[in-house]
Amino acid sequence: MTQLAFDLPQRPALGREDFLVADCNAEAVAWLDRWPDWPRAGRLPAALAIHGPAGCGKTHLASVWQAVSAARRIEPRQVTAETVPALLEGADAIVLDGLTADIDERGLFHLLNLLGERDGHLLITAALPPARWAIALPDLKSRLAALPAIGVGAPDEALLAAVMVKLFADRQLMVSQELVQFLLPRIERSFAAVQSIVDRLDKAALISRRNITVPLARALLAGGNTENDKEGN
Amino acid sequence: MVQVGKAHIEESVFPGELSAQWTRVRNRLRHEVGDSAFRSWLKPLTLIEATAGGVTLSVPTRFMRDWVATHYADRLRALWGSEDPAIRSVDIVARASAAASAETPVAANRATATTPPTTPPAMLATPAIVPADGAQLPVDLLDLDANLDNRFTFENFVVGKPNELAFAAARRVAESSTVPFNPLFLYGGVGLGKTHLMHAIAWHIRKRDPNRRVIYMSAEKFMYQFIRALRFKDTVAFKEQFRSVDLLMIDDVQFISGKDSTQEEFFHTFNALVDRNRQIVISADKSPHDLEGMEERLRSRLGWGLVADIHPTSYELRLGIMQAKAENTGVTIPEKVLEFLAHKVTSNVRELEGALNRIVAHAQLVGRPVTLEGTQEVLQDLLRASDRRVTIEEIQKRVAEHFNIRVADMHSARRSRAVARPRQVAMYLAKQLTARSLPEIGRKFGGRDHTTVMHAVKKVDELRAADQSFAEDVELLRRMLES
Repeated sequence: MTQLAFDLPQRPALGREDFLVADCNAEAVAWLDRWPDWPRAGRLPAALAIHGPAGCGKTHLASVWQAVSAARRIEPRQVTAETVPALLEGADAIVLDGLTADIDERGLFHLLNLLGERDGHLLITAALPPARWAIALPDLKSRLAALPAIGVGAPDEALLAAVMVKLFADRQLMVSQELVQFLLPRIERSFAAVQSIVDRLDKAALISRRNITVPLARALLAGGNTENDKEGN
Repeated sequence: MVQVGKAHIEESVFPGELSAQWTRVRNRLRHEVGDSAFRSWLKPLTLIEATAGGVTLSVPTRFMRDWVATHYADRLRALWGSEDPAIRSVDIVARASAAASAETPVAANRATATTPPTTPPAMLATPAIVPADGAQLPVDLLDLDANLDNRFTFENFVVGKPNELAFAAARRVAESSTVPFNPLFLYGGVGLGKTHLMHAIAWHIRKRDPNRRVIYMSAEKFMYQFIRALRFKDTVAFKEQFRSVDLLMIDDVQFISGKDSTQEEFFHTFNALVDRNRQIVISADKSPHDLEGMEERLRSRLGWGLVADIHPTSYELRLGIMQAKAENTGVTIPEKVLEFLAHKVTSNVRELEGALNRIVAHAQLVGRPVTLEGTQEVLQDLLRASDRRVTIEEIQKRVAEHFNIRVADMHSARRSRAVARPRQVAMYLAKQLTARSLPEIGRKFGGRDHTTVMHAVKKVDELRAADQSFAEDVELLRRMLES
């Protein structure tokens, strides 16, 4: 009988102490540490937009800031022109984590204005810098382009290794350095790829009831490397 | 002030000798493992205990402890041993277990290192939930201070050809004790200073005649307040508040277009104030005539008084604005950076100001002066139309051109220095500039093995460190490919 592998949600460690500071994210961390001394343009809230590829730690950074600022987290899809006043009621610091192109433009515009009027604070995370979003409403476009945007860049090897170890540790798994050194040169050098290989290895180990070792990893990579060869991303 | 990185427990609790040893151990480790690994793993180490035979170091989390213990414990022990032969053991513990309140020093430190965020009075005045029985409107409508920005004054407004008419009209309204024209209708594209002028009018009046009652409000806020009044069946108080003012300013009036009941209410408020000879100032993104979704009778009223438009900024005006703002930043900004910004960020003043904010903050955070190169780097999302992804093929082509070899040599088996070196540089850049895996990079270079790519990267790194002109060559190529 085969072992079933459930897709149990992982509960990653999201404290400030768990965040790995490296070249690619040092400036974003410095911006967060500098809060509440964030610059404002015009009547905009004191804001910061963190952008970067999937899995690079944006949500982690947002959680860190949320903890120090006691910010309210608002789901981007809840934002509409009608809901904004109620969503902001009594809050002067807001986190919008994972903004995507389908954001309600009027809603976001009102959110920026209302929060700006009360000298509020805002942290946005998204894949792209706000100046690059396809926004139709010119009033919103110009406000977004005026926000400080900081990229979380491509990771270097040491950080990828660290993230890999952290992702295994989030699953209560301790892996050898040999395994990490084996995997790193063989996967795409992105956070998303690290996340995916950790997922797949964890699952493969559960199903085959083997420990996570180099031979297991080799077998997995040989079995199908399509995911990492994907173009784009 | 600016606090970067993690807070560390004071190490001065240890005798000077021990602290000095620890500092030397850290410095040697940094040298051995490189900056990047040091920062990720070793910088967070804190010396927490020293006994005759050993020392105890703490790290923030359990998994970091495991990692450091597995990979660096031997080196730590050896380095400590060379400092003090008596030390035979180095223990690594996770801070969470070493001190249950590992968070506290960080939080405390942060609290003293920075000023707490201010809670603006407007928020306190706006109750989260209005009790159903004693339903009442928030009282912040007339609390002008809460709605005004003290940076927006006439003195801080940089005047140029594109905005001089609007500026003069706004001053006239602010300085006049009668109503010179009603309404004053300011319009122009986004981020050109309409809001600034309205705030400036309010500040001026407040200074000159504090008894005059002024309301400044965005159209959306007007709408929200009105909807709220409707919900709490308190429209009488709402009307009263607006109709008893001496000067009403509504910003971005286009945002009440299409909202029929709000428009209706606004229309009545407008008429009531005009009848009583009270001043009204309106701003919008278009002229009254061009406002869409607005009733004809309202559009025509909005055009009764003086309609002043603000034109897009000229280069001279943008430069003037940049110079004025730069003076207030407390950071030295070279003139050529200001010229560059005025030249490149042409859309509106808000974006210009945002751009300036970013380069100032960046300079402060990294502790380096503002330069043109740094500015281009920091603002690349604004300055470049898109994040074009560099492909391995492009890298090969550029590098081949640069070293004057054939692109085919990137894939060929030839191993002479003249082609091998450029090939290594291209592999190095492929690793730096793309996210492709090493086996994949190898494949694109004539089916080479990923260890060949690793060797190339190592080789180029060594050469960069040893040969300044080679390093500059590589840097130049990187920039060309990234631009």
